[in-house]
Amino acid sequence: MNKIMVDNLKFSYNNHEENKYVLKDINISILKGEFVSIIGSSGCGKTTLLNLLAGIIFPLEGSITIDGEPVVGTGSNRGVVFQHYSLFPWMNVKQNIVFGIKQVERTRGKDYIEKLAEKYLELVGLKYCCSMYPKHMSNGMQQRVAIARAFAMNPEILLLDEPFSALDVKNRVILQDLLLQLWESENAKKTIVLVTHDIDEAIFLSDRIIVLSERGRIEKDFKIDFNRPRNRKELMRSQKCFELRNDLVSILDNSNSLGI
Amino acid sequence: MKKIVKHINIALVLIFLCQLLPTKRDAESSLPLLIFVLILYGYYLMQLRFNKNKTRIRTTKDVITILYYILTLWELATSKLDIIDKVLYPTPSVIIKLLIQELPEFFKGFISSFQILLIGYIFALIIAVPLALLIGWKERLYNAISPYTKVLGPIPPIVYVPYIVAIMPTFRTASIFVIFVGVFWPVFTLTLHGIFNIDKKIIDSAKVLNVSEKTMLLEIIFPAILPSIIRGSSMGLSSSFGILTAAEMIGARSGLGFYVKYFSDFLDYPKVIVGIIYIGIAVTGATLLFKKVEDRLLRWRV
Repeated sequence: MNKIMVDNLKFSYNNHEENKYVLKDINISILKGEFVSIIGSSGCGKTTLLNLLAGIIFPLEGSITIDGEPVVGTGSNRGVVFQHYSLFPWMNVKQNIVFGIKQVERTRGKDYIEKLAEKYLELVGLKYCCSMYPKHMSNGMQQRVAIARAFAMNPEILLLDEPFSALDVKNRVILQDLLLQLWESENAKKTIVLVTHDIDEAIFLSDRIIVLSERGRIEKDFKIDFNRPRNRKELMRSQKCFELRNDLVSILDNSNSLGI
Repeated sequence: MKKIVKHINIALVLIFLCQLLPTKRDAESSLPLLIFVLILYGYYLMQLRFNKNKTRIRTTKDVITILYYILTLWELATSKLDIIDKVLYPTPSVIIKLLIQELPEFFKGFISSFQILLIGYIFALIIAVPLALLIGWKERLYNAISPYTKVLGPIPPIVYVPYIVAIMPTFRTASIFVIFVGVFWPVFTLTLHGIFNIDKKIIDSAKVLNVSEKTMLLEIIFPAILPSIIRGSSMGLSSSFGILTAAEMIGARSGLGFYVKYFSDFLDYPKVIVGIIYIGIAVTGATLLFKKVEDRLLRWRV
């Protein structure tokens, strides 16, 4: 069953200048519970595509539908984690999560919401940081909190905009594992769209990889059918992964030279 | 040996050496000055004994040393050598004595001034902040209002004083109104400025949480621009105190500005100087208090 449908989408920041389309002829259908990565070099419009899905900006032509309903703005069925700054600096860690939950659970009591916030903080291993302000935390810790908030709000769709790209290698690996663990632990799996420029990250995490070219078109759509749960070391050493990575690198290289 | 020959000790000894000179202004004892100097020295010794922070101790020492030298020169010029005018330049001892004697008057003036200040200030905050939030958020409203703010905002509030004193029934209401005007504009313009410079990422982060418009204004935009609001408020605080004391010199029957003006009319310059020092203390105290509130409200920024 299709969760997200993107149909003949065109987008431009300055209206209708033919050669200034950021995205052009985008057609994507994403299944319910699917983990899809959108990959491409910087400036290819992948973040723009994610913002369109989030409902912060709107398509110039074409349409985006979720469960058959057109997207007309932000919605509680979608959660977003940005690369930076998903957290509000004047709220401490717990307040940030509580604030998020409050926006979706408007009728629930304070106790319920606080318990839920604590539960998710514990899941990401940050329960001891409840009263810390984002400014006093490392990037990695902040992203953990942002992920905890996104899961605590329990949206059907999770949109991740390069959430790990500001982290060091060790933290990146830890957070990727954490993301998979949270995602796989749920019975009704969330549909995840991840924007990244990290090829290994895309291979390890996703069911599908969509490659965007520099001109804002879909270059290729890969199926990644490694069994889950995945073992990072085994997967990365396998021949299949090696070939996949080579394919992706050459496609990205190609689209680069065409784009210039 | 070197430990004793410190600058502060030399300065202290100098003041006492001055006392060997005969006093040229009779009937004025130098005792208050000496007591004051010794109290300061005692404070320094306490710091030396109990404060662990080396820089703090050194700063205290340097500040007191400078004060000692100023007092020495002052004492020499007035009481000992009498080279400057008697009426215009009182001795340090006279001023120190008056500072204590006039404390009740100071408190009366302080309370009178700060009551007016606080009422006008709070009124200005309650009206300026929500108004700026609303106008900053609604583009059409902003476009309609901004020509007025551009013209009215830069008018120095002090020029309203004579007119407002004339049209208001009492001096008190007039002062409150002047303070209101003086605080309103910096708070209003800086709040607006804050809204226009708010980080778009914050707005986007809030949008994707699907917040209502009311939540967006009250729980996102307001705290996000709180630093700007506080900056405007602190600008308003110091400028409005200036306006108030100036206004008090024109028409009041109480307050710190009135105190200074009243005694200068009688050529009682020692009390004028004391009044000026009091105003300095009051402003410093208010600013320190404000800083405490600011640190508390913006602790997430540190």
